[in-house]
Amino acid sequence: MDFFFGLLQIIGVHTILGLSAYVVLQTGQVTLAQAGFFSIGAYVSAMLTVLAGWHIVPALLVAATAAGIVAGIVGFPALRIKGLMLVVATIAFGEFIRLFWFNFDYQIEKKGIVVGPQGGEGFKQIRFFPENGWSTLDVAIFIWVIVALIMLALWWTDRSRAGAVLRAVGEDELAAQSVGINLTAVKVGAFAAGGFIAGIGGAIYAHYTTHIEHLNFGVMLATFAIAYPILGGLRNVFGTLVAVIFIQGFLVEGLRFMGDWRNLLFGALIVLAMNVQPRGLIDERSVRLVRGLFTRN
Amino acid sequence: MLDSKLVRLGAVAALAVAASFGTQSEAFSAEKTVQIAGFGAKSGVVRSFGINTEAVLTGAIEAVNAAGGVKLADGSMAMMELTFYDDRCNAEEGISVLRRIAGSGAVVAIGPTCSNVAEPLFGILQKNVGDEGDSGLQIPVFTDTAIKGGLAKISQWAFRNVPNENQMYKSLFEWINSEHPDLKTVYGGVEEDFAHSRFTWHKVMKERSPEAGYEVLGESKWLLNDTNFTTQVRQMKKAKADIVAISAHPFTTCGVLKEMTRQRVKPKLLVGLTSSSSMETLQGCADQAEGIIIPTSFAPVTEAAKAAADAAAKYEGSADLHSAAAWEIVMILKQVMEAQGISADGDAVDADRRAIRDGLASLKETDGLLGKIQRTDEGEAVKPYLYVHAQAGQWAILHDPSQ
Repeated sequence: MDFFFGLLQIIGVHTILGLSAYVVLQTGQVTLAQAGFFSIGAYVSAMLTVLAGWHIVPALLVAATAAGIVAGIVGFPALRIKGLMLVVATIAFGEFIRLFWFNFDYQIEKKGIVVGPQGGEGFKQIRFFPENGWSTLDVAIFIWVIVALIMLALWWTDRSRAGAVLRAVGEDELAAQSVGINLTAVKVGAFAAGGFIAGIGGAIYAHYTTHIEHLNFGVMLATFAIAYPILGGLRNVFGTLVAVIFIQGFLVEGLRFMGDWRNLLFGALIVLAMNVQPRGLIDERSVRLVRGLFTRN
Repeated sequence: MLDSKLVRLGAVAALAVAASFGTQSEAFSAEKTVQIAGFGAKSGVVRSFGINTEAVLTGAIEAVNAAGGVKLADGSMAMMELTFYDDRCNAEEGISVLRRIAGSGAVVAIGPTCSNVAEPLFGILQKNVGDEGDSGLQIPVFTDTAIKGGLAKISQWAFRNVPNENQMYKSLFEWINSEHPDLKTVYGGVEEDFAHSRFTWHKVMKERSPEAGYEVLGESKWLLNDTNFTTQVRQMKKAKADIVAISAHPFTTCGVLKEMTRQRVKPKLLVGLTSSSSMETLQGCADQAEGIIIPTSFAPVTEAAKAAADAAAKYEGSADLHSAAAWEIVMILKQVMEAQGISADGDAVDADRRAIRDGLASLKETDGLLGKIQRTDEGEAVKPYLYVHAQAGQWAILHDPSQ
């Protein structure tokens, strides 16, 4: 069972990453900066648990706040650009953050061992979970409680006035502005919220892998971050979860036995899924279908 | 219409998932065999390493089984059985693979290929054996390829059979100094974003060469996925060093060597990274690599080494300093399993794993393909080595430091 609990952990981490992009995509902004915020969460939380000896929960909250603040700051210049320019700008930001970690060196001696981020060689021995006796199931439950809280918050937001405002900005900025919506507040707020959520994901990721390095947070991770909500569908938070299960559970893990063919199928199946369900795996029609299953009898 | 589409899509996905998990678990049947799990990169940029490891492991296990198998505690003989997993040189996937192996009947895991996978993997293992407060995985992991220095000390469940590069390059630079006293300066080229190559330049070549009397004039850096090396080679040309030491894997080593040819950069001597003493380098740039000197812990110069090379070739792989270590690992494991008296019972997997770990930890010396291998208290190996150089599209032995 340990393997399945481990798989649940990684699905949970990627779901959080996908949800961080989901928030920003709601406002019509396509961002590839989520990997950067994710890395901030990873490094900050790891420094707090390993170097300062903090518990994972406060470390996670501080790391997520740091990522959220940086995301908010990034959100301001992003107001001036949109579309492909925003994509390019956020890629540049993500690479800037990644290269910052590549050059970041801060180590101290603890119990006779030198620990801390060491530039290109990464940051190892982030062992809060095993050192504190957390079983794989404990960690999986911890992660999924957080995933559930985030999904609940976003699900509630989707149904509140705030959600309507986000979608209004995403559908037509000019129309939204003409009815008195503060574009700056909405866009920067979405960036900050997305950064905060990505920071949480990064913090858990660092403690899941026990070793992080700049290469973990490249453009590929940023692409996955926006691919999850787009593939899953932007009308519903559950779409992101379904997309992560499809990619991480089925394409990555389920097809492992296929070796090199897996890489080939990986892309082909995503293209196929997007053709079969062009508005996302969970769109209005599939929601109606599921509702119908429960109401027919 | 939509209903049927969705149902069909869901059914196909569910069947495929079930089939894949089923295929993996089916390999671990209830037969009394010694289950060995191998893992490494069988896809992606460094896939050749995993393919070679699997080929050598398959050949080595075939050789053990042909000789009767492994003698168990009750005196019976059991065959070894290999299941090999692809981790795509990705840390997350490596962790997932190791968790799958830990949940199976495998008594030991052999791998991984990449150091950036080995570091997190060793991190999820229990750090100190018997520490009840540490919930890390308890399965011995014996590494054949991930070569970045000092990784086995991360966990007492981690062991490596990789060469000691510090010793190899120290000895190599001293030997070059004695053979070519006219050479005075070194310039480095490093694949900066790959754990092994970066470590080997900054912590090994760059530190050992001055100890042998050389002046390091500088370094050029590039990335694993780079395809243009114009600027780096221009810097190299400007430095006019006697020796150029390239710490990079075959893919970019060849790119740099070709660019050096284009810019007519001809150092008096070329030194390469251990991992580049493989067929990939010769297949990619035999002409440009002509004369490059590399220390390696494998060459088919003994009967055992020739057998390993033949076995690798039989299974469409190639024996090199990395994959050949997998052959030695299988032979070491057979010896340890028999000495420790494992049972290979399905319900005694944990006890067998612990016995194998304890056996590996107590080893001081083992047999290797080129001679005796010393084992350190930190789970590392000190292996015999040779210097090879590229000559007419082949790796030829240049010098044996043990002679």
